[in-house]
Amino acid sequence: MWSLGLGFVVSAASPTASAQDASSAIAAVGRRVFFDPSLSASGRMSCATCHDPAHAYGPPDGSAVRSGGKDLKTPGTRAVPSLRYTLNRTPFFSHEYPSNAIERMVAVESVPTGGFAWDGRHDTLHDQAAEPLFAAPEMANADVRAVADKLARAPYAGELRAVFGADVFDDAGGVVKKALLAVERFELEDASFHPFTSKFDAYLDGKATLSPAEARGLRWFSDPRKGNCGACHRVTPGADGSHPLLTDFTFAAPAVPRNREIPADADPAYFDLGLCGPLRQDLKGDSKGCGSFKTPTLRNVASRRVFFHNGRFHTLREAVRFYVERDLHPERFYPRQNGAVVLYDDLPPALRGNADHVDPPFTRTPGAAPALTDAEVEDVLAFLSTLTDADVEPARP
Amino acid sequence: MAPLIGRAIMKTIKVGAVAGVLLACGFAGIGAERWADARPCEKEEVPAPPQIKHVFVITLENKSYDDTFGTSTQDPYLRGTLVPMGALLSQYYATGHVSLDNYISMISGQSSTLETQADCASFDDFQLTGVVANGQAVGTGCVYPKRIKALPNQLAEAGYTWRAYMEDMGNDPARESATCGHVPLDAVDVTQQPEAPSAAVPTGDQYAGRHNPFIYFHSIIDTPECDANVVNLNKLDADLGAVRTTPNFVFITPNLCDDGHDGDGTGAPGKGCVTGLPGGLTTSDAFLQTWVPKILASPAYKKDGLLIINFDESATASLTSASANGLTTITATFDGDSCCGQELGPNVTRPATSTFVVSPTLTYDLVTVGVGGDRTGAVLISKFITPGTVSSTPYNHYSLLRSIEDIFGVEHLGYAGQAGLKPFGGDVYAKRGY
Repeated sequence: MWSLGLGFVVSAASPTASAQDASSAIAAVGRRVFFDPSLSASGRMSCATCHDPAHAYGPPDGSAVRSGGKDLKTPGTRAVPSLRYTLNRTPFFSHEYPSNAIERMVAVESVPTGGFAWDGRHDTLHDQAAEPLFAAPEMANADVRAVADKLARAPYAGELRAVFGADVFDDAGGVVKKALLAVERFELEDASFHPFTSKFDAYLDGKATLSPAEARGLRWFSDPRKGNCGACHRVTPGADGSHPLLTDFTFAAPAVPRNREIPADADPAYFDLGLCGPLRQDLKGDSKGCGSFKTPTLRNVASRRVFFHNGRFHTLREAVRFYVERDLHPERFYPRQNGAVVLYDDLPPALRGNADHVDPPFTRTPGAAPALTDAEVEDVLAFLSTLTDADVEPARP
Repeated sequence: MAPLIGRAIMKTIKVGAVAGVLLACGFAGIGAERWADARPCEKEEVPAPPQIKHVFVITLENKSYDDTFGTSTQDPYLRGTLVPMGALLSQYYATGHVSLDNYISMISGQSSTLETQADCASFDDFQLTGVVANGQAVGTGCVYPKRIKALPNQLAEAGYTWRAYMEDMGNDPARESATCGHVPLDAVDVTQQPEAPSAAVPTGDQYAGRHNPFIYFHSIIDTPECDANVVNLNKLDADLGAVRTTPNFVFITPNLCDDGHDGDGTGAPGKGCVTGLPGGLTTSDAFLQTWVPKILASPAYKKDGLLIINFDESATASLTSASANGLTTITATFDGDSCCGQELGPNVTRPATSTFVVSPTLTYDLVTVGVGGDRTGAVLISKFITPGTVSSTPYNHYSLLRSIEDIFGVEHLGYAGQAGLKPFGGDVYAKRGY
């Protein structure tokens, strides 16, 4: 049995506090860590720099990838996902393994699910939060000692002692781990990560009415014979009436075109293959997963200016049309080489068979009618606009 | 084919503890509210079952007899401890592939539909077009209309109690309710895949609606009985505390790991359950080791109990591969072996092929040749059974239902009423039980 690792004991540091109070105290110091740019090598990048709360804890602008490092000039390789809504509900990464070999083969609906980051490589938030502290394109700290020293100088060092004990700074690794656990508590507990203040939420509560276009868009979005978006971006309330998260956390390979805005993509030998690397290392031998990335939530998607794992599209209309027309008009999305369209060009030629052809509308072939007409695409866009929370600002171009 | 309209009526007249008379009959016209039958009934003298009044069923998943009781080293408790305590039914067969149709047959005698044999990925209402011999509902879909009865209806009418204990049901309340857990009618069944642990659901949720046959009957889900009696397994401990709190019929469905559905049992990375446990027979054996002693120690079991451990279906299939025009087709074939003259029913055909398109270059064909679910074996334990009994009498899930119905003295539903079908008899129960 795996452990969430959330059950660390804080009572020694605050023996009189209730569990709720102690937990909240941890979350409070976690907030300080989350927003602290001094923890980066540049001194100018915090978690919130990329995961901006004003933009649903997503990117504040339309850059396909953001840059970090000591001089903030080292580009990353993936678009920044929103942290809203999904964090407490993201299951550990898993891929069901039926004991029956036949079932393993034919259960095409059984796909990898969960984990944090586009490739699901982290099972817990404190594990995930450790990576940007040291990643070259992000906060770029040299080692744990460097982070511990910064924490010791932070204005909230006393809060760390109060919550975790006076000796928390005695061990560099220990204090960094505690700080990451605090970030995790902040992300799980703070209401700003799950406000449910969109028009769609009001509609679900019977407090708002969708416009005709929005209502039609919801229908096209959900209908398996039309957009079929709801198959992965679940839009129906939970059994307990809870509002949907617009993701089921499953992995898919939509074969998004290569994005030449990303400096790493200038190298023709470089491919970001999601589940099978290069950032994720443990599934490199499983070629079936190459090109698969986790389904993001579509909540607040209309406020973004960067879509898919590689930020290839900068308008939501482009992103929706890609689903509708990928195999009907591939020339609109993929480059030509020697006159021929290079399908699924962000996968190595040997792995282009991994492109999703199972889930509608990706089942359609050239010459088929599109799953959505132009007018229906506009309806879907109207519906998606209802998913924006009341406090979210549109991303800058 | 045009469906026959009719209704099968089978009734066991249970008298005393010594013997009964089985009346195997044909079917009367739809709407007929009589227990008699249109054709003469054959009289067959059968022994009455012992005075069992508490039946416990634990259904595990997807194992062949040769694996479970032959080659596997992962189930030492089942084979080494439980089998010697009771009766091994070495010729016990499942009634279908791939899962749900087996469970439904166990509690209703209904045969496969195109949807139930594919596990009802969508919780579709059953579209009834008629009822034919042996009470078989004709139509398509998953959730049977109210007129199609199941064992719980019979038990309730006869004054007996029942409860189904579903491990993990409601762990994630957004996924399914903790009682009578099913998705809305005609909605996609989101319980088809297990849910790994998360911050919000630290234990994960491996409940699978397709392993809970009780939710596929309007005669159950449209009544308060469903919320009252289809509950999480965590209720069982308390219910076992006294005879009066232990239902007469207990059906236990472990989660997708504990029933052996997931994981290969080796503990190898990536080959276990979504919780990290090894799964397979290893984990189902551990589940039995946890729960069977509790059941056997319960006052109700000690008084007049029977424990049945079975498997929904076998997993043995053969594989072939062929390539043509750039398309590779891998064919997996279940023999679909059956026993006991199992009938196909009105809704499916055999052999049957289901095709799963993986990519433009790869397709899987799943072929089921016969009507059955292949040989799985089963184990029965009771004070009415001589330890170490081995029976090679053929039985299947319909026999199981018939046997339970005989125990509680209610009529035979569906193919439990198939002419000539044998309930557990003197080959299973010790003579002192008669």
